[in-house]
Amino acid sequence: MTGRQVAIAGAGFCEHASKRSDVNMAEMVHEAVENCLKNANCDISSIDAFVNGNMPGFEGVNLPELWMTDWMGARNKPLLRVTTGGTTGGSIGIAGYYNVTAGIPGIDTVLVVGFEHQSCGDTSVGLASVAYAETSIWTKLGLSMDKMTRIFGAGAAIGISSYQAINYMKRSGATEEDLARVVVQNRHNAAKNWYTHLKMPNLTIEEILETPFISYPFRYGMVTPASDGACAVIFTTEEKAKDFTDIPVYVNGVASVSNESAILGYSGSGACQLDPCEQIGAVESAKLAYSQAGISFPEKEIDYAEVYSPLPTQELQWLERLGLFEENTAHLRYRDGTTAPNGELPVNCSGGVNSTNSIGASGLERIAEAALQIMGKAGNQVPRTVHTAIGHSWGGVINLVTLMVMSDQQKRKWKGVA
Amino acid sequence: MGKKKSSKPPATKPTAKRAAKPAAKEAATEKRTRPQGGQASKRERTMERVGIVGYYQVKPSMDLQMDRYEAAFTAVRGALDGAKLKRKDLTSVVSATNDFYDGRTISNCFTVEASGSYLKDETKVEMDGAYAVLYGMMRVLSGNHKLVAVWGGSMASCFPYEVTSLLSTDPTFERSTELLNVMTAGGFQMRSYMNRFGVSAEEIAKVAVKNHQNASRNELALAESQDESITLDKVLGSDPLSSPVTDLMYARPCDGMACILLAPEQQALKITDHPIWIAGVGYSQENYYLGERDLSKSRSMEDAAKMAFKAAGITDPKKEIDVAEIFEHFAHEELILSNAIGLSEPSSPSSIPINPSGGAISGNALFATGLVRLIECAKQINNEAKGHQIDGVHTAIASGQVGFCAQNNILFVLEGGEKQ
Amino acid sequence: MVKMEYIKKEYERTRKTKGKWYLSSYHYKFNITPFIPFFDMLKEKKLMGLKCRGCNIVYFPPKLVCGRCLAKPDKWVPLRETGVIATYTATFDKDPTTGELTPAPIIAVRQDGSDSLYIAELSPDVKFDEVYAGMPVKVKWRDTTQGNLSDIEYYGRVDDPTEKMELYKQEEE
Repeated sequence: MTGRQVAIAGAGFCEHASKRSDVNMAEMVHEAVENCLKNANCDISSIDAFVNGNMPGFEGVNLPELWMTDWMGARNKPLLRVTTGGTTGGSIGIAGYYNVTAGIPGIDTVLVVGFEHQSCGDTSVGLASVAYAETSIWTKLGLSMDKMTRIFGAGAAIGISSYQAINYMKRSGATEEDLARVVVQNRHNAAKNWYTHLKMPNLTIEEILETPFISYPFRYGMVTPASDGACAVIFTTEEKAKDFTDIPVYVNGVASVSNESAILGYSGSGACQLDPCEQIGAVESAKLAYSQAGISFPEKEIDYAEVYSPLPTQELQWLERLGLFEENTAHLRYRDGTTAPNGELPVNCSGGVNSTNSIGASGLERIAEAALQIMGKAGNQVPRTVHTAIGHSWGGVINLVTLMVMSDQQKRKWKGVA
Repeated sequence: MGKKKSSKPPATKPTAKRAAKPAAKEAATEKRTRPQGGQASKRERTMERVGIVGYYQVKPSMDLQMDRYEAAFTAVRGALDGAKLKRKDLTSVVSATNDFYDGRTISNCFTVEASGSYLKDETKVEMDGAYAVLYGMMRVLSGNHKLVAVWGGSMASCFPYEVTSLLSTDPTFERSTELLNVMTAGGFQMRSYMNRFGVSAEEIAKVAVKNHQNASRNELALAESQDESITLDKVLGSDPLSSPVTDLMYARPCDGMACILLAPEQQALKITDHPIWIAGVGYSQENYYLGERDLSKSRSMEDAAKMAFKAAGITDPKKEIDVAEIFEHFAHEELILSNAIGLSEPSSPSSIPINPSGGAISGNALFATGLVRLIECAKQINNEAKGHQIDGVHTAIASGQVGFCAQNNILFVLEGGEKQ
Repeated sequence: MVKMEYIKKEYERTRKTKGKWYLSSYHYKFNITPFIPFFDMLKEKKLMGLKCRGCNIVYFPPKLVCGRCLAKPDKWVPLRETGVIATYTATFDKDPTTGELTPAPIIAVRQDGSDSLYIAELSPDVKFDEVYAGMPVKVKWRDTTQGNLSDIEYYGRVDDPTEKMELYKQEEE
């Protein structure tokens, strides 16, 4: 009964844009839920429980799942809310998995909903408030206000990532052109996917390298947008999955190992990540999730990867840390086409976070896209059959990571911790 | 000013059965010497059991002299030390904090080290602590984890909770008028209950009196709530918050943290001789708009109780349950929720002791309160509740809630004790 | 500025209602009593790190809880004034008249003897092009110290004898 096999039975999205001014938050979530139910060919009565998540600091609504109960279809049904910042999408996917595998009586099919309506709020305030509390103490401890804003405000999330990028580029020898190549591939992929935000089928490397720097080494052309959007995924048991889809996607491994925060932090935390691109949290998560799924050689056994990379250096870095490519060779794989849709290990064929970034949903979209590739129903479907795929996300002050390993066979090895 | 005092962590191996404590005021706690609950082992369970193997509660205060990291550290360290376990035994940590109460987004990203989650599988539930225990329980039942720590809490002294409750209102219709907040919602609910069932304000005030008196026997209660000599007139005559709710009927938000440790059945029996079992859980969410709900009843608690009793195999709650710890945001909510669970009716009060620790009125550190209700039930079963111990507790229920007028309710059924 | 073409769709407007998150009204609590020796030593122009007895890791600036041991570090150790740049970045200041962008570097320094990073500014006579990860730097104290973090004015250059050193022999093709 407990520890039972979980399968993903369907996924749905709403249209993403920089300003979805035609709907409010609840209506936007409803679009995604309807799309998901249509994809899985069922109606709301088949859903037993819900999981909801977003990053509430952006829209200024606390506990929005209370308000949007009816729009989600959750009236008089169990509901759980999980929010972990940037990794929210990954965390709610993992929470959906745990909801089903726990075997609580009455809960077999779970609908997981992630969303973000960033145009409602001020994105820079939302991002700055991650560290606002920590940095406000530095002013009391002697740093002047403008010195502090310059040091800590180097673009907030972009600033932290630029420390990471500098170290990565030095280690691996990746050039600016390699970064631009990653962005071009992502945006070309996004143009073939229906719901994405930045569709640029004619983008070239030179165009990106002509834009000015935002925070060294990133240029304006490389940076992710801020989108409004929502995503919904159905998790269910392996018996019931056959009612929803021909090819159920079995969830075989999950992990979300956290690390100390990097660079920022005062008393509780921070500053011990000497090399922010090392990411022990990702390495440990990969070890844990692969051992649960029975994967010993990730570079050979995984056919498709969706990694969370708002900035191009992160895409290269995660592919190495998650064990898919050798250290310091990820940029070479982009040059020779291994990661293209018709390559050996396609990466981010949905366009990735570099083209669509609605923070609460983007982690879930990585899982949903990987699952749809296995089912054969993705917007930008790769030509070869995908058997095993991973969906990954990162967040926090580059210390939170989530990973989910999915396959079309039940390969789950972990059977209890006796 | 609150006192900075944390109680020493309780041992999980009870020594001898304690003598019954005399109940000074009969209205407050009922003394029951023999267990009325049915034999737990005869029930038809439909869910596997999860064991509670350790817990720790930081004493709540109106102005805690610790920052949130030190409080989280104290709670988690206290729970581990009390259970004689090490940080390396943990496999997962689940937290319950809220971005708006803490004044920062991603409220779990800087608490990684202080809560012992460094290089552990860590996540955060943004609901009452009882829901974090639910998620921790799911992680244990999956077979992936052998020891899960669940912690949560907030600091109301940093920012008034009632203002952040405005941010939970619907931006389309309700936010602009600013008429709906947690106090006015409570006023609506109390008036609706009084009118529907002909209950007077005095009867509701009796609940507040009982809880304040119970809090005086609870060493881990808020100092301002501990009032042995409180009277009905004092409650009814205190400052009106939102008619007919008065100040002493409201569980005032304060600072606090708590932590609980969960383990699967096999591991729990190795860690301690008498773990407390979570035998059943149920949770449900009603719809949001107050105008569409029947505020004198609680549909979500009825559904949650049905689900929890089915999982634990309880068929007659009035006979099988020994004590109940209900998270009541207001004094009248205790009556509404216990009616919904089936322990009482509007005309006949419950015969089972409810909230011997004083309930949420004894200290409402938002997001830790549900967790504390579970800890209190665990203490009752383990004979560690000292001043407010009820004798012979084998089956207890604990509840948590989120939302205006208890929109989302969760109910746990706990079993344990020396005779099973 | 180059304008990049992307496919855009128009969505009609809905009505807006205003809201506010009163971040500046929060009273954030921080406990600084464990760190008072650190600030006293800064006034005397001495750097101190906080060491955890369980895992021997040294924190600079000091930290309340050691995440690896879940314990409070309590041993103060003196640190040298030199350190190494672990990572760096730059923000760009735009000249309002010419539109020219000049980089202003920001560095994260690991003091010799400590295992954590501290964000600081670089001396004005080091250009951004000369900065590299692994560059040695040294503390420049402010003239009159006050016993807080502003006593470390910035980090200045130190001669690096290993900068142009050949790390390993290049193999002949």
